[in-house]
Amino acid sequence: MKKYDAVVIGAGNGGLVAAIRLLQGGAKTLLVEKHNLPGGFATSFRRGRFEFEASLHELNDFGTADNAGDVRDLFDELGVTEKIDWLEIPEAYRVIARAEKLDATMPFGVSAFIDKMEKYVPGSRPSVTKFFALAEEIRLAQAYSSSVNGKTDPKYMVEHYGNFVRCGSYSVNEVLSALKMPKKAKDILNAYWCYLGAHCDDLSFLHYASMVNRYILRGASMPKMRSHEISLALTERVRELGGDILFNTEAVKISTDREGGVAGVTLGDGTEIITRHVVANCAPHVVFGRMMDKAPEAEIRATNARKFAGRGFSMFLGLDASAEELGVENHNYFLYDTMDTAAQYEKMRTIKENEVQATVCLNRAYPECSPKGTCMMYFTTLYMSDDWGNIKPEEYYKTKNYVADKMIARFERDTGAKLRGHIEEISIAAPMTYARYCGHPEGVIYGYESQYWDGLMPRLQMMGEDHKVRGLRFAGGYAMRLSGYSSAYFSGDISGRQTVGDIKKEG
Amino acid sequence: MPYVFKKQIFGFMDLLRFKKMVPKRRRKLAEGSAAPLPETYRVNETAKILHPGFQRAVLVSVKEETADTKTFTFQTERPFYFRAGQYATLGCGVEKSVLSRPYSISSAPEDALKRKVSFTVKKAGFFSGYLFDEAKEGDVFTLGDPSGDFCYEPLKDAKHVVALAGGSGITPFYSMAQAIADGTEDFRLTIFYGANTEKDIIFRSELDKLASEKIRVIYVLSDEEKEGFEHGFIGAELIQKYVSGDFTVMMCGPQAMYAYADGQLAAFSLPLRRVKKEANCVGVRDVKPQTFTLTVHIGFETFSVPADARETVLTAMERAGLRVPAKCRAGGCGFCHSKLVSGKFSLAGADKRRLADAKFGYIHPCCSYPDSDMELIVPKA
Repeated sequence: MKKYDAVVIGAGNGGLVAAIRLLQGGAKTLLVEKHNLPGGFATSFRRGRFEFEASLHELNDFGTADNAGDVRDLFDELGVTEKIDWLEIPEAYRVIARAEKLDATMPFGVSAFIDKMEKYVPGSRPSVTKFFALAEEIRLAQAYSSSVNGKTDPKYMVEHYGNFVRCGSYSVNEVLSALKMPKKAKDILNAYWCYLGAHCDDLSFLHYASMVNRYILRGASMPKMRSHEISLALTERVRELGGDILFNTEAVKISTDREGGVAGVTLGDGTEIITRHVVANCAPHVVFGRMMDKAPEAEIRATNARKFAGRGFSMFLGLDASAEELGVENHNYFLYDTMDTAAQYEKMRTIKENEVQATVCLNRAYPECSPKGTCMMYFTTLYMSDDWGNIKPEEYYKTKNYVADKMIARFERDTGAKLRGHIEEISIAAPMTYARYCGHPEGVIYGYESQYWDGLMPRLQMMGEDHKVRGLRFAGGYAMRLSGYSSAYFSGDISGRQTVGDIKKEG
Repeated sequence: MPYVFKKQIFGFMDLLRFKKMVPKRRRKLAEGSAAPLPETYRVNETAKILHPGFQRAVLVSVKEETADTKTFTFQTERPFYFRAGQYATLGCGVEKSVLSRPYSISSAPEDALKRKVSFTVKKAGFFSGYLFDEAKEGDVFTLGDPSGDFCYEPLKDAKHVVALAGGSGITPFYSMAQAIADGTEDFRLTIFYGANTEKDIIFRSELDKLASEKIRVIYVLSDEEKEGFEHGFIGAELIQKYVSGDFTVMMCGPQAMYAYADGQLAAFSLPLRRVKKEANCVGVRDVKPQTFTLTVHIGFETFSVPADARETVLTAMERAGLRVPAKCRAGGCGFCHSKLVSGKFSLAGADKRRLADAKFGYIHPCCSYPDSDMELIVPKA
């Protein structure tokens, strides 16, 4: 029987980084992936003369060589930065909200962002400046927390990062109100909320401010060859470091020893792998619901207590005219019915009512991403309930087209661009598509929701106690850093390094 | 003085709140239900019907359509669903090889929900020859996922589709016609169906029965002049005789038909988005025979197999009896995506790989011919 120090289940963003960390720590590592490609959602696909990005809008916290963000630092340590051709995203976002008649385009760079906000909302400068001061303190506090593996000294925290602790238990809107931020400025600042998928009355301020800061402080980047380039670069690195990777191979069981700790992994073809350590880049719902015969009751209870975050839907268009010709002016759009995020969240429960979209025209960041005289766009939304579970197979394609049609109509109406009559390629991914490729329950793409009680901070603080099965750790959107590209990479970094520590302790 | 955040009247209350976050989460997690977690979910179950993966399919009937085509109908292990126009692979062990070929599905999507699916196959090569001469009712095959984008797209295509079908290239359009008739699809379909002689027409009576306001079939015979049939090839004049206004062209047939149609369609100045072609399997190439050695890593095993320079890398692996992924056999679907460790190859036709695949040395064996000894890492089938 094959024996490994560690098995990583799933070659998504978290799993790939975990595997590299394990190998760098000297662990003999096997990475198994049920699909035939690495990356999970981080991939691309060809249709005609277009190569579509499957999911990445822009990678935050990457920065440039002389102003590196945490993700670049991580990629440097992993040894993959140089394997990828990067480009910088020109501007942060354009947000359009109907109820408020809001239409604002925001730049990267903290002072540019504050200046632009002051233009849109005179008098907003003091509160927005305070927001970024808080956000920066949060960043530094998190860096301290990571440097001590989550085992922070409360006294040191209060002394050095008092604001972090004082604002740390509040929601986004609670803190913005305390900062006396004008409503319109709040509305503009809250545009990114759908990237985290919990509304701003519930979403932890720490989490949101941390993400906004990661975008605005250092800008955002994108690999030229779509996220597939990152996924292949990470895969390449796993192989360079001597790791084994099996594609088209599903891990179906995690077996346990008498004490209930990890003893092995069974693959789809029946192959048994002996290992005492697993990093699962998949949902605890899947691991404890299907992969373990005797999951501890505490794990079952904890897993049942959690709430699935948004289920994904994306439409991809290859258009036979340039962005200029079509009137698509920006790279990244957020189109909302209202900036009352709690009300908006409610409307996102159903296929019928949800008309939110986060939309990217990649050519606005990278004009050469498609042939001259063409452009590519992708439109994404989230469903905050299992409404797609009500769709029968024979209704599936019609329902996808119904939503896609609404997306095109909304984009045209809100921005004035003209897309119809120029669609050369179209591809639509629904929750079933995400369920198919990545196996996530209900087609969830954001892991567990960043609800107030289950937000970033308590997850990080409880990293050491969250999972009680010896040898089992998690990476990816369901784990301690929550969802999103950079978060998933960091979760893989943390779980990979911690597993190296576990192995060393065992001697 | 640096900015101090405060929400409550007394700052210590903010600190207390922060301290309560962990105990609160601990309590919430402990309060979760002890009921078993679900083993599956509705969306995931629907996904299994839309994308069933490989499944067993029992051959339940064989019908002779013409001298060189037969329709093979299977009962599948599980219900599934597809879009009219899609293909699926059909495979089984033949001699020492495990083979599969992609065929357009000729039955209606609705039938698949009742576990019935049909392929209408022309006797042309090794596998179709096996099907034609050897396969019998009760035989068990492996059916692949319904795949491909040779389908009507309501948000993109014109409401009127002009189908150019050559020989057994009628199969996806026959599926579409059934889907229009039963209400699954909603578009107008005008099929120009080219065959050598009247005897070579497949589904003649079925198609005539399906004719309606939405479905029209024009039979075009190349080798016969007969009343009630058009004669010659499907050209611009013929299309103009029957069709006007905005339309999308979909063609399925041999490569020679595509070349001819492209020339004829120039008269209509159609934009790229108005023309779709179903891809054909990559065949042999015309070079002098030469044998290379492929070193193939699959899972934990390594194999050494011969490869004929005239055939694709995929064919070499299949001939050697290796179980390797294969689907479209035309370079486009990426299912056979494999890492090239070393060696040289030539592509059949256009490079349909992702950009990063070329950069990091991945190939699609189904459309790559060996130009030297090669070493590959291939996912297991």
